[in-house]
Amino acid sequence: MKKVLFAIALCAAPVIASADNVGNCGWGTKLFDGSSGPAPQVLAVTTNGTLGNQTFGISSGTSGCTQDGIVKSNWKTSMFIDGNKERLARDMSIGRGETLDSLAHLIGVREEDRAQFNRAAQQNLARIFPSDDVATEQVMMSLKDVLTSDRQLARYAASI
Amino acid sequence: MIGNDTPSGEPLGVFLVNRPTRLVRWFWLLSLLALVGPASAATNDYLAELTAKSRTLGLHERREWNRLLHYTKNLLLPGVHGLADAPRFYLAVDGKTNPQTELEATLASFFSGVEETDQVQNPQCQFIARFAWLDEQLGFDPARMPRRACKRFEEWRDTLNPQGVSLIFPSAYINNPSSMYGHTLLRIDGKDQDEKTRLLAYAINYAANTNETNGVVFAIKGLFGGYAGAFSMMPYYLKVREYNDLENRDIWEYELNLTAPEIDRLLMHVWELGPVWFDYYFFDENCSYYLLELLEVARPGIDLTSRFRWWAIPADTVRAVVEQQGMLKRTHYRPSNATLIQHRLGLMNDSERSLAFRISLGRVEPEDPRLSALPAPQQARVLELGHDYLNYVRATGRKPVAEPAALARELLLARSRIDAATDDPPVAAPEVRPDQGHGTSRLAFAAGRRDGANFVELRGRPTYHDLMDADGGYARGAQIEFFDFGVRHYDGDIGSRMEDVTPVRIISIAPRNEFFQPLSWKFDTGWARRRIADGSEPLVFGVHGATGLAWVVPDPFRSTTLVYAFIESTAQVDQRLDSGFALGAGPSLGVQCDLTSRWRTAAYLTGQRFFAGDTDTTWSGGLRQRYTLDTNHALRLDLSHDRQEKQSWNTALIALDWYF
Repeated sequence: MKKVLFAIALCAAPVIASADNVGNCGWGTKLFDGSSGPAPQVLAVTTNGTLGNQTFGISSGTSGCTQDGIVKSNWKTSMFIDGNKERLARDMSIGRGETLDSLAHLIGVREEDRAQFNRAAQQNLARIFPSDDVATEQVMMSLKDVLTSDRQLARYAASI
Repeated sequence: MIGNDTPSGEPLGVFLVNRPTRLVRWFWLLSLLALVGPASAATNDYLAELTAKSRTLGLHERREWNRLLHYTKNLLLPGVHGLADAPRFYLAVDGKTNPQTELEATLASFFSGVEETDQVQNPQCQFIARFAWLDEQLGFDPARMPRRACKRFEEWRDTLNPQGVSLIFPSAYINNPSSMYGHTLLRIDGKDQDEKTRLLAYAINYAANTNETNGVVFAIKGLFGGYAGAFSMMPYYLKVREYNDLENRDIWEYELNLTAPEIDRLLMHVWELGPVWFDYYFFDENCSYYLLELLEVARPGIDLTSRFRWWAIPADTVRAVVEQQGMLKRTHYRPSNATLIQHRLGLMNDSERSLAFRISLGRVEPEDPRLSALPAPQQARVLELGHDYLNYVRATGRKPVAEPAALARELLLARSRIDAATDDPPVAAPEVRPDQGHGTSRLAFAAGRRDGANFVELRGRPTYHDLMDADGGYARGAQIEFFDFGVRHYDGDIGSRMEDVTPVRIISIAPRNEFFQPLSWKFDTGWARRRIADGSEPLVFGVHGATGLAWVVPDPFRSTTLVYAFIESTAQVDQRLDSGFALGAGPSLGVQCDLTSRWRTAAYLTGQRFFAGDTDTTWSGGLRQRYTLDTNHALRLDLSHDRQEKQSWNTALIALDWYF
């Protein structure tokens, strides 16, 4: 028997109304888990019919955050975090990795501040991911706090 | 069935139900004319002039036009037909079969005065690749045909900020019938990314639009074009997550050498195809086929698709692209989560492995003294592996502990408190890439002796790989064969006969260890010779399946020796059987070992007790050898002993395999 799990909380209640780049955009990714054994678990990013409106199929939960298949610029960081929570938490725990590098790039962290960024992420993992089912906007808020309280990184807090 | 990949997405709603009809196209044309509005005399003159010029130049016969409109030659009748199935893609009433009227209708549409909004586009923008090419050929006069700004397209292209294009090949996934040959997609690499931030690139994927989660239904329906195929775009990180983390498939990335104008043409055409769908056929008009068409549009001089008229196996399409002179810039290998775990297991000692295993199941706390006794880098490695393995188990749908997400977080927190790096070497890319393995079709020329009669044999296999073939570029332990058949000519009474025909044979031999506990399995169906009571050997139809276990055992050859055991069952149906059928079951054992990198040897023993219908006890045992001469040639030697209906015989066969 197959059941559908919603693996990523999407369209969670918006926590902060003031910032326009956090809120209720999510990838709407679903995990279809098969029973045990060889039946696979499949990630399906559901695409809606395009009906000539947007150029490409869009994922449910992303309308308003994407245009013609592309994530709108003010949503880039939150959509990235939303689609990569597990990988991101893992990279932060190690203090390096491709997902963490990509996040740093999105926030605009300069090369000379990368080591400090990675260190801050590693040391503050518990703050950034305060629970195991944390909402994307919560991750963004706490990451912002962590950056704000770091002298070298404070200037990047505004880009989240 | 070939390389579609995971079903994704919802049906295209209304459009799927109402397939494009002539009526729809008429409406479209009428609305198009309405959009163009009351044409002025000047417009009519210029349109007539452009049309005449296009006829003189024979533009509708040009390869570029035919590629852009996805025309393909009819199989029997003269002429062409377009592959796109969305009504708005062909503007002329008979545009799907008439490149000339389509070209002229396209020219007419470019005079449209429609303003671009979030909902609609001017035809100059909607068909921007056609516009660009026709403009190049005819030199549109902006004074006589006002040029429209394509803001949405420009924004889209600016965001992609393209610098290069990569062909992405997630390798095979045998447990899903729609992915067992792998899959291909394109990635648009941005100027603002580098090797460390490639996750931020966008992927262009072509797939069947469906919510079908039953792989078998999906595969069968897909064989007959039962789904609409469409292009979609998403950030590459979603694809990496899907393949690497959830399906545990290694990804190969082929960075291509395309010039800036070629990339521009490709993107303009992708833009045109965004809202279009094509009937999806697993075998030929599948994911890989349409990516080749995109590359043909990018570089009109190359022919990639014509050899894939009947089927397009993803690995073969990669080969076709890479074979183009100077097309491949470099490759990059992205190991799956399971591959990473296996790699790190190989770097650890027994006590570290068992500690990581117990930590991942919550049986040992991260604060356990056995862990803190280790040097910091080893502690880090044990925790990282424990976490990765826990996530692997979660991705396979199992729940090893009550709160797996909470445990995963706890392990990461413990890891974050260790200020040391593991410095493990990265996973080395396999020596042979998927495009460098043996050809996917095979012919074998054999001679041998069976039960006292000499024979020669011709064996053919359209696709794809068996357990004795060289593994380079393929997944080891995964055998996928379609329509394998053998014809023999025997000296003496038997003469020439079909020996066996097997429409489908799939075997998955997946070794187990403490961390991975997959089941191995087999399935095949087809016709094979069976000795019956009167001593004759009719071609009997049968279905055969098996479930089993496999392990890797240490061997002196420093290779991986596989041993496996199955419980097999067989159902046979034939009117020449006394009861018309036979049902059997029994065990089988096998071992497979590489003596050198070229020489593989395998032994097997199978016993079946046919307990219903025609009863019998059969045995079969043998020794097989394969010696690789070069990528596409190998020698085989098979020795076997069979017992059926209380008669026994030996067979010896030597064969030359030719892959192409």
